[in-house]
Amino acid sequence: MRNTRTMFPAAGLLAVAGLLLSGCAGAGGDSSDGSASTYNVYALLPQGTDQPYGTTYLPAMQAKADELGIKLTITNSKYDADTQASDCEVAVAAQPDLIILWPAVGDTVRPCLEAAKAAGIPVTATNSDVNPEDKSLIKGYSGPDTYGQGQASAEMMCDAAAGAPTNIIVINGLTGNSTAINRHDGFADYIAKSCTNITILAEQPGNWNKDDSQIAASEMLTSVGAENVQGIYAADDTMVAGAIDALKARGIDPSSLIITSIGNTKLGNPLVISGELYGTVFQSSSWDGENAVVLAYNVLTGKPVEENLFMPSVKVTKDNASDPSVAPEW
Amino acid sequence: MKLGTEQSGLLGRVRNLAARRTEGRGLILLALVIIVVAILEPTAFTAYSVTLGRVALIGLVALGLTAVILMGELDLSVASTLAVSGVIMASIPDLGLGIVVALAAGILIGIVNAVFVVYVGINSFIATLGMLFALRGLAFVISDEKPVRLSNIDAGIAFGAPLIGPVTPRVLIFIVAFIALQVFLTRVRAGREFYAVGGNRQAAFDAGIPVRRRIFTGFMISGFVAALAGVINTLERTAADPTAGSSVLLASFAAAIIGGVVLTGGRGSVVGTLIGALSLGILQVALTLSGVQTDIQDIFIGSILLIAVITDPTQLRAAAASVRSFFQRREKAQIPT
Repeated sequence: MRNTRTMFPAAGLLAVAGLLLSGCAGAGGDSSDGSASTYNVYALLPQGTDQPYGTTYLPAMQAKADELGIKLTITNSKYDADTQASDCEVAVAAQPDLIILWPAVGDTVRPCLEAAKAAGIPVTATNSDVNPEDKSLIKGYSGPDTYGQGQASAEMMCDAAAGAPTNIIVINGLTGNSTAINRHDGFADYIAKSCTNITILAEQPGNWNKDDSQIAASEMLTSVGAENVQGIYAADDTMVAGAIDALKARGIDPSSLIITSIGNTKLGNPLVISGELYGTVFQSSSWDGENAVVLAYNVLTGKPVEENLFMPSVKVTKDNASDPSVAPEW
Repeated sequence: MKLGTEQSGLLGRVRNLAARRTEGRGLILLALVIIVVAILEPTAFTAYSVTLGRVALIGLVALGLTAVILMGELDLSVASTLAVSGVIMASIPDLGLGIVVALAAGILIGIVNAVFVVYVGINSFIATLGMLFALRGLAFVISDEKPVRLSNIDAGIAFGAPLIGPVTPRVLIFIVAFIALQVFLTRVRAGREFYAVGGNRQAAFDAGIPVRRRIFTGFMISGFVAALAGVINTLERTAADPTAGSSVLLASFAAAIIGGVVLTGGRGSVVGTLIGALSLGILQVALTLSGVQTDIQDIFIGSILLIAVITDPTQLRAAAASVRSFFQRREKAQIPT
């Protein structure tokens, strides 16, 4: 008993030492070595290597930064608005040459943008744009046209429905997230205006997560009756995979429904080829990461920049899913 | 030292003080953090307005939690209270009225938590865990699952501006809350009775302390302070996010534990919580300035939390006694008979 008492603190201290050493080993993190860096740039991101998209977004971003002589300091707020606001305060205090902002929650970034403006630090947005009323506070946006992606997904569903009455369920992204809101609005607006034969029976957030999406889809199928559902829209491929699993769990063949999503990921692309997913919209994470730095560099070097540098929203169906130009990246 | 005896002399007084106080480990950790940060990332101190803001962000909710933990209870609902109070406030067009209703909602949530703990007899961990989920859902329902922007965004931006030097309203409110809670817990009889309730509830009851009333007060303080943090966050961000507070709960508990507040109740102080919040805040700002990713930051913070728990004086004394007796047994075994 006494030996156990001695061993617990000792083992604990050893474990802590190990944790700290592993922390020190990784602490070099995502800052480039800066040996040939000309510009210091803070990238305030809501995700990093903890998400599949970030895993391929970050290397492309870092590689382009190294190529252009930009020293990047990257933060990850994990979609927490308070954490990102706090990261922004730190970034402004560090007085970098520019801040690249990927808003965790678009409605909450105005104070950050105002603080950067007051400190004379230019800001560009990546991946998720700021609200229209805040556009004057940024130098430009690069990334997907998130509203257009929702619309493109709706167009595919509308084409597949071919005017037949179609009841669908909708699985949205993380509540409050700018991308989730824009994709939803793009999809819903197009359906309401141009495809009135499609009816949304129910919608729930799937939190960009396969398991959450599977549960949400399963609940909605139960509440509205699976027999009444002819289609599913999910705001990304990870969530659509969860929805397809929910259908399979009920013995329903997914290819008998019209299912669309966004991403054309390594998870979604094979589903399109197999016919379980009717169509998805290609989003290139490497294009996104790379062009965030390109836009920043253009602003820093005084080159003219467009207000929006949109990633092309390419529709991917069974016809072109195996084309190398839309090979999935994440 | 025998129970009830006090050591005289300077050394004895220092020992007595060290035995009574629980902030020692927190102070040592804070000193270590300050030294390391001063050497490796001194910008964290030159950008003191940012560091102060981070300390206030972590510390405010931790102060309210301290009141509950001192009585041996937990309040896991603080993060959801923060979110729902912010959403309530932003949903009311009149800013002043919104703040009052949001703060009242915080107190009400504290009362409901206390009812479950005191009258229904549910363990506070379970009761407040249920409240955590219920309030999160309520925040989504009220906000229609979207962030709610303030009707007066300019007022929010003005609120985030410094008043004097680096002192923003958030920092000022944190300082006022700290002083108020410190005075309450050390100078007011009802506050001092929190320690008795947490130390030995039955003895406190037998001594005529209104235990139920004190638990109600503790949860009301916790709810009010969490709602206050929600109001401040909403003003500073100019919008209420129904998903807000996800990082607050763990950081607040970490600040209290690092500061020496004992989870079983009866020991600890808001000074300790302040020390814990300072350690965490300075460390987080320094790591962010150094470009260290949040995953790695979590490793550092988790390690510090573990050190704080492992180096608990009671555990260390027990370990030292075990080591002494081990060597004494070996010495005896080596003496030839």
